[in-house]
Amino acid sequence: MATSRMVLAALAILAVLPVFTSGDTCLRPSVVSQTYTSSEAMMATETVVIVEFTLTCANNLKDVNLYAEINGRTLPATRGQNSKTYQVSWSDDHKNIPAGTYTVRFFDEDKYAALRKAQRSGDNTADIEPLFTIDVNHKGTYSGPFIQAEALATCVAILVWYLAYSTKSNLQS
Amino acid sequence: MAGGKLQKLTKEEELLLQDFSRNVSTKSSALFYGNAFIVSAIPLWLFWRVHQMDPYQSAILFVIMTMISTWLVAFAYKNVKFVLKHKIAQKREDAVTREVMKKVADDKKMSKKEKDERILWKKNEVADYEATTFSIFYNNSLYLVLIILASFYLLRTFNPTVNYIVSVLAAGGLLALFSTSTPAK
Repeated sequence: MATSRMVLAALAILAVLPVFTSGDTCLRPSVVSQTYTSSEAMMATETVVIVEFTLTCANNLKDVNLYAEINGRTLPATRGQNSKTYQVSWSDDHKNIPAGTYTVRFFDEDKYAALRKAQRSGDNTADIEPLFTIDVNHKGTYSGPFIQAEALATCVAILVWYLAYSTKSNLQS
Repeated sequence: MAGGKLQKLTKEEELLLQDFSRNVSTKSSALFYGNAFIVSAIPLWLFWRVHQMDPYQSAILFVIMTMISTWLVAFAYKNVKFVLKHKIAQKREDAVTREVMKKVADDKKMSKKEKDERILWKKNEVADYEATTFSIFYNNSLYLVLIILASFYLLRTFNPTVNYIVSVLAAGGLLALFSTSTPAK
């Protein structure tokens, strides 16, 4: 009886142990994120996407190096001063970042190495389990009104002139 | 007898000449120049607010170009009015005759000659009014089309000052040129 209780206690300690160890892997990451995407294309040549987030690990892991992967493109996440906030940003032509939801996958060093390996060997990178993901909802860029003001003005002016011209032709016929 | 007839003809001719001459009355002329000035001043707003020209720096240019444009537009008004007046007089002749005849039908004392004169006078008035207003409308619409096309499309790459000078001159010049063309028969 005493033996089995000892075994149970040992198992319980073993089960709880990973929580208290500060290993390399961030356990149960909780992420609070904020995203920004360009909203208009008239004054900008490229669409910009910025993802900012705060990462908290259950095992209190700090200064984790993170890498982001978006549409097959990988880039390192910049860590902020308080070692919990990160930022990832990238830009591309407006047409390459159309409106939609983009899933940004984040990897730590180990997972990133696995991702690179998969990329090198041409394996499916979607199989690599990311540490966590952040969805970026891009509403699309506003590229000005559908019809330019001067084009509209020209159309109206030509229409009025056409009416005047046809009336004049009528009078002169 | 012959002399009297001659005098009558001369009188009618005088009336006709007056009715269908290129000369416009002072009132009509004021109307033309007033309207021409307004329509010539419209591009100022365009070049000030859209093409970002400074109204103080370009004041002299604006005044000169507006004056030239006013003259050209008024010239076009006059020509188009002259061309249209004949045609309108012909078109409205029946209606005017009917109306005047209805009015003077009861007047037994009025002679045939006087009735004809009244019709001619009324016809002239109607045609003059219609030709004047229509000429203003037609030329304004054409002027604005030319200004918009020139300033926004043909000369958009030029600097605003050149754009303004050329588009106003081109619009006014073309308007005056088109007004002198004889209608296709």
